[in-house]
Amino acid sequence: MYKQDDTIAAIVTASGEAGVSIVRISGPQAFFIADTVFKCKPPCPSKRPAHTFVYGHVMNDDQVIDEAILLVMKSPQSFTKEDVVEIQCHGGNMCAKLILRYILESGARLAEPGEFTKRAFLNGRIDLLQAEAVLDIIHAKSERASAAALEQLEGNLSAEFDILYEDLLRVSADIEATLDFTEQDLPKGIMKNLNKRLLSIRENLDQLISTWEEGHLLRDGAIIVISGKPNVGKSTLLNTLLGRQRAIVSSMPGTTRDTIEENLVIGGIPLRLVDTAGLRDSSCEIEKEGIDRTRAYIQKADMHIYMIDASKPIDHEIETHLKKMENEESLIVINKTDLCNKLDTNKLDNKLSIQMSLKKCQGLDELRSCILERLRKGGTLSSRPHAVISERHRNLLMESKKELDEAINMMNKDQEDLTAFVSSRLRSSIENIGLVTGKEYEDELLENIFSRFCIGK
Amino acid sequence: MINIYDVIVVGAGHAGYEASLAASRMGAKTALVTIERDAIGRMSCNPSIGGMAKSHIVCELDALGGEIARNTDYTGIQFRTLNTKKGPAVQAHRAQCDKSFFLERIQAVIACVENLDIIEALVSEIWIKNGTIRGVKTEDGEEILGKTLVIATGTFLRGLIHIGEKSFSGGRVDEKAAKKLSHSFLNLGFNLGRLKTGTPPRLHRDSIDFDRMVDQPGLNPPPFFSRSAKKDWEMFHVEQKLTPLKPWPPGSNQISCYLTHTTEKTHEIIEKNLKKSAMYAGKIEGIGVRYCPSIEDKIVKFRDKETHHVFVEPEGRDLVEIYPNGTSNSLPKDVQHEMIHSIPGLEHAEFLKPGYAIEYDYVDPTQLHHSLETKKIENLFLAGQINGTTGYEEAAGQGFVAGVNAVLKLRGEDPFSLNRTESYIGVLLDDLVTKGTDEPYRMFTSRAEHRLILRQDNARFRLVDYAKRIGIIKREEINDVENKIIQISEEVNRLKSIFCDGISEEKRLRRPGTFYKNLLNKKEGLNSEVITQVEINIKYQGYIDRERKNIIKAQKIEGQHIPNSINYDEIKGLRFEAREKLKKICPDNLGQASRISGVNPVDVSILSVWIKRIDSK
Repeated sequence: MYKQDDTIAAIVTASGEAGVSIVRISGPQAFFIADTVFKCKPPCPSKRPAHTFVYGHVMNDDQVIDEAILLVMKSPQSFTKEDVVEIQCHGGNMCAKLILRYILESGARLAEPGEFTKRAFLNGRIDLLQAEAVLDIIHAKSERASAAALEQLEGNLSAEFDILYEDLLRVSADIEATLDFTEQDLPKGIMKNLNKRLLSIRENLDQLISTWEEGHLLRDGAIIVISGKPNVGKSTLLNTLLGRQRAIVSSMPGTTRDTIEENLVIGGIPLRLVDTAGLRDSSCEIEKEGIDRTRAYIQKADMHIYMIDASKPIDHEIETHLKKMENEESLIVINKTDLCNKLDTNKLDNKLSIQMSLKKCQGLDELRSCILERLRKGGTLSSRPHAVISERHRNLLMESKKELDEAINMMNKDQEDLTAFVSSRLRSSIENIGLVTGKEYEDELLENIFSRFCIGK
Repeated sequence: MINIYDVIVVGAGHAGYEASLAASRMGAKTALVTIERDAIGRMSCNPSIGGMAKSHIVCELDALGGEIARNTDYTGIQFRTLNTKKGPAVQAHRAQCDKSFFLERIQAVIACVENLDIIEALVSEIWIKNGTIRGVKTEDGEEILGKTLVIATGTFLRGLIHIGEKSFSGGRVDEKAAKKLSHSFLNLGFNLGRLKTGTPPRLHRDSIDFDRMVDQPGLNPPPFFSRSAKKDWEMFHVEQKLTPLKPWPPGSNQISCYLTHTTEKTHEIIEKNLKKSAMYAGKIEGIGVRYCPSIEDKIVKFRDKETHHVFVEPEGRDLVEIYPNGTSNSLPKDVQHEMIHSIPGLEHAEFLKPGYAIEYDYVDPTQLHHSLETKKIENLFLAGQINGTTGYEEAAGQGFVAGVNAVLKLRGEDPFSLNRTESYIGVLLDDLVTKGTDEPYRMFTSRAEHRLILRQDNARFRLVDYAKRIGIIKREEINDVENKIIQISEEVNRLKSIFCDGISEEKRLRRPGTFYKNLLNKKEGLNSEVITQVEINIKYQGYIDRERKNIIKAQKIEGQHIPNSINYDEIKGLRFEAREKLKKICPDNLGQASRISGVNPVDVSILSVWIKRIDSK
């Protein structure tokens, strides 16, 4: 059997709305990683028999990432003929991505496009006819992937990678120059401040990595949660914005008991609209659960739309809700202005509000522009438009950082005889960034050295 | 009976003598064809060997059975080690040689070897009949018959020398160029390119004021490249018999080199006369060396640098020629005089030879296999500057590989090819045949991605299996290496097991500033070569282990052989550029394929699936 020594992982379900997402891990370390990330009743995944499944939680230290079901497949009885673990988690993009990221941090490598299939072929799991198809898949996917990568690399993001690459290369060239040429040929003090320069590069690297978090807006859309007391018209707002009847609406309070998520685009910005169960004290178990979820959603939302019925006075419950919203990115929608308006707007504490009548389709445009403006103001959109949004880039940056940290550690030892080792680490660090920008280390390095130093006989 | 040689070597520079010595020492009947017998082993530029990354090649050649290391050590007049503080991987020896004794000694070595004939002739044609190598034809209409051919003609292919506005044909100054041989290559369908290099003027020793310069003495004990000189040094007290092979006890009576610098005036003179320089008058089409720039280049490209170093180096113990290293140029003679005289200590320097630039043809090395055999014509090997390299060391490395492979080819054995994970020569070969070059290629340690392992101190140990296979190195030497490998690992293990004050001797040795000699439990009488390896292996163990892992990873992909029968046009999904490049280079394995510029990881992935497919058929 053809042996691959590294372990790969990827989300194998299509992205988009689905009840369940699946993350697959394949390779010799699959069970080791599963034991690390997945907590269940004993025995741990690796000790479980092949072709069984177990319920548990994906946990990072004490923090639950998601509850999930884990499937155990042991070599050679799996799709790739390697040890395979599949984790079924909640649908939507976030959960699966968080789980995947944790798996990658635990030692797996992100699978290349079509790599599971490729391994299946190399290990003799699928036949030659199928292999032809694999080639097509690998190719098609990579082309799409590279097109996507190019798009990402246009403009500012690419410039940031370039700056990082160039900065690192300059340090590396300085060090390499001292290794390949005699000191007499080189400017004095060339090795000075190298540590400082590396630290500042690492800061930039960190910053770029941190944009991955911000970049989730571009990947997944800004999450906007609609909440409010029962029967204020939350589902109607969702339906109206979507332009179709997605949620069931009725005059009965508590009609929506689970959250409903929908994607839409306003002004070019992808949004994820979440309709929630109304906030009220309820004795019904199911409804209580729904309300808990609403609260959880509001916490991770980029924006909160709180709806109020204009025909009813602001009561104590609403006041409590408004108070809780003080530190949130929120917008108050006063619905049902077609009915008599009993609202005392003074009680809204100067919070931004819009009056509208969904029934008569009044105030919708205002709402749309308000949402955009609000997202921009709140910094959610003004966050750098060139955030790192691809998982691959993030991983390369992380890898690059790891090597850079090692280099800095060695530099800190202040032992000149480690110079060649430092430069070896820097090389790995740079090569990882070069994989994003497609640059060849050696050529670039020599070019850099020769253009800056007058070297030679 | 007609005399048919097993191997004909054309050209007797550093590639040529290594090729002919390797072939004849392996038992092949060999001819060394040169224009001038007395010029065998001539050092056309500075008589110095080694330096950063180059010294690694020299040490590797000594480990495999080459001659250049010994020849340097026995004729060296100043020995130094560069980069002493920056860790063992990048340390390098450099020796200044006596250029007349260097040449005399190599000629004496050749005279001692059986099966090696010297033929004085100017080769004009590679002689091929019915698609098979028959030998070479000479300018005088002679035919030399041979089964395999190693061409190592250096800068002689259509060599064109430039001094200021004057240009004339020549292989080196005062030596004939090989014009017709270039056409022979073109007729056989090879792609040729044009490169440029240069050399500074030579000055008379007695006209130089050394008191105005900084003295650079040699090191004592001298850092030798070769095992043999090291042994001689150890027996320094024993009276040694001097012969042409050993003109003096190696390393004895070293003489200094000197350091001076250019001045503001030098720069003015060059700026003023730039138009008269062949380089800057646009007369030269060949591409020059970036790291060995002419003085015109240095001044134009680095205007903010007020002064440049000039190393004043003797070309021999009793020779009057002095090499002002750093003043290579193609200016007219009178300007050269003015320029040199503006340098402190050289105010009254008398010229023996002017500096010049030389342009020459080279063969695009991507037309070669790693064995240095051409892909087009079987049994034809190319080595040295003809492949676009520069430097004696690079040339010698290739010459040795070509010579050995010519013999192995005749024996019907697999070629000897070094991998880039195990040697600098391997890096050199792989870079040349995979990437080609459009400027004179010189070795740097940064070209070797695994340089932490490819050190000059361990060359003997890492290459011993190859040395055994080639069979030039004596059995007792091989035994010595193998014994030492065992001693090294035994000593490392012993130090791990001995504890002193709660920590092992191994851990103690890891401390910066602690050496083997400081250990309380050192083993008396341990050989110094073994001690060095023990120290390095222990001190840098973590780093070295990591590098070994990288090598194992790299070797996996290197081990995935691409069959010769592969038809790249059949492979779905390869991008156009990748397909064309792969067809041109014909890589041996996936690792090499991945290093071709224009072949990306996805292409390699597609290729790997395709190969598996063929294998499983």
